[in-house]
Amino acid sequence: MSELVYVGMSGGVDSALAAALLVEQGYDVRGIYMRNWSRDLPGFSCPWADDLADAERVACTLGIDLQVWDYEREYQKTVVDYLVDAYAHGYTPNPDVMCNQTIKFGTFAQRAFAEGADYISTGHYACVEPACYEGNVPHLLRSANEHKDQTYFLWRVPGSMFARTLFPVGNIATKDEVRRMCAERGLGVENKPDSDGICFVGPVGLRTFLLDALERRAGDVVEWETGEVLGRHDGAFLFTVGQRRGLDLGGGPARYVVSTDTTSNVVYVTADKNCPALWTTTLVLDDVCWIAGSSPEPGRYLVRTRHTGTLREARVQLGADGRTNVVFDAPIQAVAPGQSVVVYDGRECLGGGIAAKETNGAIRE
Amino acid sequence: MDHAAATPLDPEVQRSMLPYYDKCFFNPSAPYAPARSARADLEAARARLGRVLGSRAGNITLTAGATEANNLAFAAVDGQVVADAIEHDSVLACVNARGGTVVGVDSAGFVSPEAVREAVGPLTELVSIELANGEIGTIQPIRKIAGVVNEERVRRLECGDPRPLLLHVDASQAAGQVSINVSTLGADLMTLSAAKIYGPKQVGLLWHADGVALRPLVLGGGQEGGLRSGTENVAGAVGFAHALEIAEQMRTQEAKRLRGLSGRLRSGLSKRLEGVVFSGPANTKNRLPGLVHASFLGVEARRLVIALERRNVLVGTGSACAASKMRVSHVLTAIGMDESVAQGSLRMTMGRLTSAEDVDVALEAIVACVTEERERVGWRNI
Repeated sequence: MSELVYVGMSGGVDSALAAALLVEQGYDVRGIYMRNWSRDLPGFSCPWADDLADAERVACTLGIDLQVWDYEREYQKTVVDYLVDAYAHGYTPNPDVMCNQTIKFGTFAQRAFAEGADYISTGHYACVEPACYEGNVPHLLRSANEHKDQTYFLWRVPGSMFARTLFPVGNIATKDEVRRMCAERGLGVENKPDSDGICFVGPVGLRTFLLDALERRAGDVVEWETGEVLGRHDGAFLFTVGQRRGLDLGGGPARYVVSTDTTSNVVYVTADKNCPALWTTTLVLDDVCWIAGSSPEPGRYLVRTRHTGTLREARVQLGADGRTNVVFDAPIQAVAPGQSVVVYDGRECLGGGIAAKETNGAIRE
Repeated sequence: MDHAAATPLDPEVQRSMLPYYDKCFFNPSAPYAPARSARADLEAARARLGRVLGSRAGNITLTAGATEANNLAFAAVDGQVVADAIEHDSVLACVNARGGTVVGVDSAGFVSPEAVREAVGPLTELVSIELANGEIGTIQPIRKIAGVVNEERVRRLECGDPRPLLLHVDASQAAGQVSINVSTLGADLMTLSAAKIYGPKQVGLLWHADGVALRPLVLGGGQEGGLRSGTENVAGAVGFAHALEIAEQMRTQEAKRLRGLSGRLRSGLSKRLEGVVFSGPANTKNRLPGLVHASFLGVEARRLVIALERRNVLVGTGSACAASKMRVSHVLTAIGMDESVAQGSLRMTMGRLTSAEDVDVALEAIVACVTEERERVGWRNI
C-alpha cells in the first residue's frame, strides 16, 4: 500500500506541480481545494470558481480525486476578523501567517489526518529536514529558491506538523523551472500569474478592503518633529509605518508615516528620511512561537522582518521584562507593529514573534 | 452542447447589424436626416419584433437582456409577488427582495395552476412563471395559470377592488422552440432575450399588454417611451428582430429536428450506461426539444465537465449562475432530487449547429468519461 497524501490544491502553479510530483513519487494522492473566501469586493470579483476549475483540470489530468472543503467560517474568524481587528488597533499584520497556522496546518491538517492521511502537502516554497534524534521535531529550512522562500509565513506552524508535511516544490531552484515542469506535464496552469499579496484583497488593495469593514474617521496628520498639524486623514488605521503614498497634504516635500495612534486617531509624519523614529536597532517581540517548542539560546542569528526581506545578523536575547528582544548591529528601517519578525539559524527557520508597539522609538510622549 | 447558455450569432444577423456600427452610427434622437433614418430603422425593428409576437410595436420595451427585462416587469408593481421555485435567478432575486411567495413544483418541474391559485392572495399584484425552464426543460401550462390569474382579476373587478394583478412570463429559454405569440399566451408581460436565439448578447425585450403601466428602472433622457433611458442600441434591435424572425420561421422544423437529436442522445445514454436519471417531463411535448438533463450516479458533474472539455465536448451543469456558486442547483432542489444524485447532473442543450454526428461524438465522450470516472472512484450500481 502506498502512503496517502492530502495535498492542498489552490488552482495555482505551485500546488499543481506539488500534486503532480507526489503522484510521480508513487504516493496515493488526494487533492483538496480549500474554499476560504468567495466574497467579491468593490472592483474585484473573487476568482475562486475559476481557481477551483483549474484545480479540477489538474486533478483530472493526474487522475486523482479533488474534494472541496469549505473553510469560509474559520477563515473569516481566524484570518479576516483578526486582520481587521489588528488594523483597527494600529497593527499591520500578516494574514498569511494566520492562515497557515489555523487553516492549512490547522483545521485542514487535522481533518486530513483524521481521514487517514499519512502526510499533508502544499505548494509552499520551504524544505523539511528530519530531526537527527528520534523524538525531536524536524527542521524547517528555507527553500532552494531564496526569492520565493515562504518560511516567513510558516513560523507559527507547530514543529511536530513538519514530520508529516511534504513540500515537493521546496527544492526547485526557480519559478521558471516550476512553470516549465508544469508545462511538460500538461497541467495547463503554467501561465497563471503569481498570486502575491493578500489573496482576498486582490488588486483593489487593502485600503478598499479595510474601508469595506471599518468606518472612516477624520483625524489630524501631525508633523512628528514639531507637533504641527499638516492636514487631515480619513482613519489612522489606514496608515502604516514607513508609508509615503496616500497622504494628501497638498504638496510640499514627500512625507513618511512615522507612527499611528488609533486611539486618538492621529497619524505622525516626517519629511526627514533620517528621522530617528523611522529607524530602530531593537525590536520587542510579542506572541513568540518557536518551531522546536522552546526558545533558542540567546545569541546571534539571522532575522527577517518581511517576506523575502534581507536576512540581517542580530542578537536575540531576553529583555528585562522577560520578552524576547532582537538587537541589530546598525539601525534598520522601522518595522510596523504587528509584522512578523522571523529568526533563522543559517538556513533553518527557528520561529519568531510579532513586532510590538514599543518596537520603534516612535511613540511620541 | 450548451446552447441554453449561449448561442452563436447567426451570420445573417451579424450582417444586418454591421451598418449600424459605422455607416449609420447616428444617435436616433438627433434631429438631422441620417439620424432620423437610424430612428426609423429602430422603430421598424420594433415593429418586426411585434409582428412575430403578435403585438403592436408600442408595447415592446427594448432592454439590455432578459435579466433587465425581468427586473423591469417587477418594477411595475408595489404589492405582493408570486413566482415558482425553478425560475431563473433574475426572477427569484426580485421575488426575494420583496419577500414574495415562492410556489413549489412537482418532480417533473410543473407548476400546478392550483398551487398558483392558493398562493395568489388579495394583495398579490404580480405572478411570474417561466414559459420553459432552461435547466430541465419543463414547459409550463401558462394558459391554465393565466386562467387562474384571470379568475382573481374577475373577483377583484366584481367587488370593486382596483388593485392590479399581472402575469409575467419569462420566455427567454422558450423562444425559437415553443410558440411565443402573446395573443394566445394569456400573459400581461413577457421577457425575451436575443442572446438565446442566435442574436446579440445584452439585448432583450419586455412586452406588455395594453393597459399595463410600466415604471422605469433606468432614468435619464427618456428613451424607450421614458421606460429605459440611454441611447438606443439600434444594431442590437435590428439584429434581435432579424434573429427572432429567423427563429420563428425555423421553429417548427427545428423543434422537430432537435427533438430527434435529444431523443438520440437520451436513448444512447440509457442504453449504454447504468445509473442515469433523466429529469424533466416524460412527455416530449412538455419539454424543450433540444434539452437533455441527465444525472450520472456516482460521479461529480464538476469533474465530468472538465473531463469532457478535454475531449472538446462542452456541457453545462445547469444555470451557469448557480454553477459558479458551486451550490446544488435550486431547480434540482425544488424538484426534490437527492443531493447525491444532483451533484452528478449535466444539462446538454443542442442547437442549430448541432448535427447527428455531433450528438454521437458527445455520446461517446460522455459514456467514456462517466465509465472512466466510475472506475476511478469504484462505483457500483446497486
